[in-house]
Amino acid sequence: MQRRDLMKSAAIGAAAAALPRFAIAQPAGNRVVKFVPQANLTSLDPIWTTANITRNHGYMVFDTLYGMTADFQATPQMAEGHVIEDDGKSVTITLRPNLRFHDGEPVRAADCAASVKRWMKRSPIGQKLETFTDAVEAVDDRRLRFRLKRAFPMLIQALAQVSNSPPFIMPERLANTDAFTQIREAIGSGPFRFKADEFNSGSRVVYEKNANYVPVASGTPSLTAGPKTPHFDRVEWEIIVDAATAAAALQTGEIDWYEQPNPEIQTMLRRNRQLVIEEIDPLPLTGILRFNHLHPPFNDKKLRQALLPAISQADFMSAVVGPDPSVYGVDVGLFTPGTPLANDAGLAPLRGPRSLDRAKALMREAGYTNQPMRLIAPTDILAPSAMSQVGADLVQRLGFNTDAVFADWGTVVQRRTSREPVERGGWSMLFTSFSSFDFVDPAAHFPLRGNGTQAWPGWPTIPRLEELRDAWFLAPDLAAQQVIAREMQTIAMDELPYIPVGAYKSLTAIRRDLTGRVKGMALFWNLRRA
Amino acid sequence: MFAYTVRRVLATIPVMAIVALFVFSLLYLAPGDPAAVIAGDQATPQDVERIRASLGLDRPYLVRFGEWAFRIIQGDLGVSIFTNLPVTTMIAQRIEPTLSLMVITLCLAVCIAIPMGVIAAWKQGTIIDRAVMGFAVLGFSVPVFVVGYVLAYVFALELDWLPVQGYTPFARGFWPWLENLILPAIALGGVYIALIARITRATMLEVLQQDYIRTARAKGVGQKGVLFLHALKNAAVPIVTVIGIGIALLIGGAVVTESVFAIPGLGRLTVDAILRRDYPVIQGVVLLFSFVYVLVNLVIDLAYTLFDPRIRY
Repeated sequence: MQRRDLMKSAAIGAAAAALPRFAIAQPAGNRVVKFVPQANLTSLDPIWTTANITRNHGYMVFDTLYGMTADFQATPQMAEGHVIEDDGKSVTITLRPNLRFHDGEPVRAADCAASVKRWMKRSPIGQKLETFTDAVEAVDDRRLRFRLKRAFPMLIQALAQVSNSPPFIMPERLANTDAFTQIREAIGSGPFRFKADEFNSGSRVVYEKNANYVPVASGTPSLTAGPKTPHFDRVEWEIIVDAATAAAALQTGEIDWYEQPNPEIQTMLRRNRQLVIEEIDPLPLTGILRFNHLHPPFNDKKLRQALLPAISQADFMSAVVGPDPSVYGVDVGLFTPGTPLANDAGLAPLRGPRSLDRAKALMREAGYTNQPMRLIAPTDILAPSAMSQVGADLVQRLGFNTDAVFADWGTVVQRRTSREPVERGGWSMLFTSFSSFDFVDPAAHFPLRGNGTQAWPGWPTIPRLEELRDAWFLAPDLAAQQVIAREMQTIAMDELPYIPVGAYKSLTAIRRDLTGRVKGMALFWNLRRA
Repeated sequence: MFAYTVRRVLATIPVMAIVALFVFSLLYLAPGDPAAVIAGDQATPQDVERIRASLGLDRPYLVRFGEWAFRIIQGDLGVSIFTNLPVTTMIAQRIEPTLSLMVITLCLAVCIAIPMGVIAAWKQGTIIDRAVMGFAVLGFSVPVFVVGYVLAYVFALELDWLPVQGYTPFARGFWPWLENLILPAIALGGVYIALIARITRATMLEVLQQDYIRTARAKGVGQKGVLFLHALKNAAVPIVTVIGIGIALLIGGAVVTESVFAIPGLGRLTVDAILRRDYPVIQGVVLLFSFVYVLVNLVIDLAYTLFDPRIRY
């Protein structure tokens, strides 16, 4: 080797050695946490849209009158307490003193009344509450009164609702916006302020600590209840759509928390000792096979029932989260496993050995004569896509004349609203999944509705389910609710508005030095760097 | 030349009008309903209808197109259905990353590909020529996202030299800006380098056979002079044409590259808008891209006069 070559090699080596200083890993102990959410934040209004990402944004910016513990107890959050009078027909909630919105204005009962009224237009349980309500009014700046037609035992529970949509409190001037029109500002009284000047939808969402936030004085942090203490000065949501890129960024320390890595990525991340893979929510999501009840072939109850012997919940769940049975559940009914209303009524047809032959025999008994059926499925959302592929294979093996249409989610959402028969572009079957909160009780459990054309796509007409749902709202205690839930499940497993195809846990990947995370969803209060 | 330029600029107006009509019609006919996406799972058909009405999506095609076209003429691209932000604001937020990526890629590609092509032509039939052509085949064959993943794995994950993802605005400093763009530009530039290198080589081979090259050599001009002063200048017109065509490739490739490296550019904005059926954003971005194509073609046509004095407009 000539001297010049040697010098060149040395120079290249020195340059290479110097390069690592340019790497941009997060310095330990800083006051910023960087997070890759499950999706892009497109809308800032958690009442206008039910997207989970907007709900999570809502919990950053807004607060609620009541919080919900992990065991589904409603506890005061913005509220100091409440008084029930007149046989339950008058409920007066008193606000904690000195609550302030991010713009410095005090939180008044009038703000809460306007917020609750807007929420009642969109939330399923809110809509139910509205039918019981004569007025929601501010008695004074700190007292909010519900005047009801009759007692509504679920009132406080409704105000603590976690999903679809939580009754977030916003300034009256925003809350007076029509419930079907998006608000233009994100100003709440929650633990973090939204940085509108740094918002770049599809790229970055920034929040900063609300230094004036006063957490509730007592209680233990649990889901959305208890003290919410913001520890980080800034929370930055980095929108990274590519899973491999997000995983690599987590490994290099460019980000701290990746909300929903897919199973293959989880396997890789488990090898990194700086990271922890854990359940984001201790409760699982439920996957469902939804039928279209309006048209053949699945307007025939016997044909819906014919599928039951062939449904292996383990097969569906393995496709979603991999073969590890610790992250999925079988023997799953209508309500989220592990919650008070979960039960085993009517689940016998989903148990025992699975048999395609038995299913085929039932199809023959039902008189299936090769009518065409169409399965519609998204390709861009992991769980429904995986379940749909298993489902498409299953119905083809059973001998259904199947047209499996895979498209992007936007197309599926539109096509599933079509009530036309298959030959005119309609659909027969789809797979999707719902969060644990959606299936905790009948309030927001859309696929369990039996109100025909008013129901969630699939439109089953099952009057008894509606009667039981109404009865559930008025049930005096948990025991009574559980009795109703068992009967609902018995009826549903016979009528089959849908078939539960298992439950799976959503895992998250987070840096090991982040502690204090409140489980349930992507919540940032109490989170701190060790 | 000035009159030609003005004529060409004016000619963009009917082109843009046709593009606008085509894009609007295509989106009108395409499946998907933003109101259903917004309304969420629990919405009743009445809820979806109310949202559709509030967004103006329930009005007839011609009314919607007329309103949109009228706004476009006034320079108003509308408001995003989802973010409630003006489309111009969203484009403004995203244009710098895409422009930066394209400029760096273009510089990288031109600086590497043209010398490569020239050398390959000069050393025709040698191992160097074969190596350059081999690289060109590889550049064409390997998808951008594969190159991106490999680069990210080696230089970010394993060597920790450069960041995996993201974008830092130029205003925050030259190096922070550049370090985020190095890997994406290399990944995106692969195809482009291959394309320009091949064209440069082929054109140079043709030019090097010309009599005036022999004359130059006979006059005692050195090899570098022959290659870069006499041959390359005469081979420039097709190369410039390919560079222009390649900008179309860059816009397409930027969509993938921006996804892989999480760069918040126009490519990502387009894909996100399509997936959500955010019609005003899709329409705005496609119009912008069309305008850029038209403009690039104009610049290329004008650039011909710099390299070939025989061309006059």
